[in-house]
Amino acid sequence: MRMKKFINEPGRIVPELLEGLALAFPDKICVFGGSIVARAKAKSADRVRLVTLGGSGHEPGLSGFVGEGMLDYSVAGDIFAAPGALKVVEALRMACGGGAKALLVVLNHPGDVLSSNIAMEAARREGLAVKMVLTHEDISGGPNLEDRRGLVGFLPVYKVAGAAAEQGASLDECLEIAERMQRNMRTLAVAVRTATHPSTGNLIFELGEDEMEIGMGQHGEAGTGRMQLKSADETATTMLEMLLDDLPASAGEKLLVLVNGAGATTLMELLIVFRRVAQILRDKGIDLARSAVGEFITTQEQAGFQLMIARLDEELLRLWDAPCNTPFLIRV
Amino acid sequence: MGCSLQYSVPYQGMTERISTADLKRMFSEAARCLRDQHQQLSQLDSVAGDGDHGVAMLRTAEQVEAAAQDESSQSPRAFLRDSGGRVLSVDGGASTALLGAFLTGMADAAGESDLDCEMLAAIFESGMNAVSKQTRARPGDKTMVDALAPAVAAIRAAAVSGAPVADTLQQAAAAACAGAESTKALVARYGRAKFQGEKTLGHTDAGAASMALLFHGFCLAFTAQGEMDHGGH
Repeated sequence: MRMKKFINEPGRIVPELLEGLALAFPDKICVFGGSIVARAKAKSADRVRLVTLGGSGHEPGLSGFVGEGMLDYSVAGDIFAAPGALKVVEALRMACGGGAKALLVVLNHPGDVLSSNIAMEAARREGLAVKMVLTHEDISGGPNLEDRRGLVGFLPVYKVAGAAAEQGASLDECLEIAERMQRNMRTLAVAVRTATHPSTGNLIFELGEDEMEIGMGQHGEAGTGRMQLKSADETATTMLEMLLDDLPASAGEKLLVLVNGAGATTLMELLIVFRRVAQILRDKGIDLARSAVGEFITTQEQAGFQLMIARLDEELLRLWDAPCNTPFLIRV
Repeated sequence: MGCSLQYSVPYQGMTERISTADLKRMFSEAARCLRDQHQQLSQLDSVAGDGDHGVAMLRTAEQVEAAAQDESSQSPRAFLRDSGGRVLSVDGGASTALLGAFLTGMADAAGESDLDCEMLAAIFESGMNAVSKQTRARPGDKTMVDALAPAVAAIRAAAVSGAPVADTLQQAAAAACAGAESTKALVARYGRAKFQGEKTLGHTDAGAASMALLFHGFCLAFTAQGEMDHGGH
């Protein structure tokens, strides 16, 4: 089947989408060199700058969260492909302008990690004050943390580390907060329908009409097994159980729950799923302290969702609640 | 893909040293091979990845060609450094990051003068070390390393035996090709493909295939026109 997308030239997708983003939010962001999204107004050099990187085609992730209280710079790669290491070095140089320090937040995907490692080596050689935190909260990767991918958990990490940076925390403090957030969060994804790769026009994976796959990655990487499509309640119950097995939460514990739509799953469905998650947590006496339901990172018209839970201590809760003003997350 | 090489008459009148111009020709040929096969590479990648490896290799080919055409790089080191930097700016994920590291690593060991087989072996080994520093993937993990490691070993062996440049590169291409072939029998353990596990059995790893194409191109630069069969189209 021919790809049905409103694009122009496949090779121009990324520059055109970033141009659109900058034109839509001119008071919040601007784009440098065709691939580095930055705040319209840089924060002062005595504040730690937050930098991230990742492939495009996952909007609003990741560049949609550049702005006050969250990211300072986002390096956008090609569709589903990590940006080149030299672009990341360029962003780190910008972030460290005026003697500022920077924290690079990296979602655990092979290309992103490689580009980041090469960029971090170069940045250190140049004497830049940079540290790096890796998010890897996808429990479908198994018990080995290195095998766990970084999914929608980037959102609370940007949020709490960004808020801390805004409030004047040191680089080490920002790193500690980001790592604490990342240690306390778990995500699991489910897919029910594939997406078209906008550059090639091909389907990124195949899934039977009546099948779903729990544990599917952001790019259609296979998960823990295919099964017959189940109801919202059954799917939510299974996934939440798997998450709570991996991140025990006792009665009274404060949890943040995110339900992230993959692109083609409706808000109606996401809310029905969320309802079931909230019921189960209430029955277990776990405090559903904060929640967010919507699209934070997508994969084109893939259908499915990511369910993320995170334990919040008082400080993380306060930082999650702190103000932010980005294209796709605003908190006053 | 690109793996039924039939080696024959070495390039007539060639010397036993590789000049900067020769090196540029090697990389131009390699870039052409990647360009010619980029759709097949994407197809291979669709087994385990998201089917865009060929797109990354096409962008890599463009950068390598641009570096080869840049007349300001007058030494092997300058050319390899420039190529590495250009490839490191490509948004190709893990594969271009590793190829960029490979080229940069080669540049680290290259000098100002033409290369003999001994120097050729040394720069390829340096490139390979740079890759090994960035990834823990080793032969048998179903990655580009499965083609790269035997090719580099073949260059070293040929250098030790005193083989001429053309033979050396033919042996490297054959080794890379066999290495890429061997990935069919392997289950992916690194990179994005590892999430597909057993499903990758029976399929050539896309990164190994592109690495084999690279060495195929190097070899073509020293082979009489029309003597080689690309195979597997």
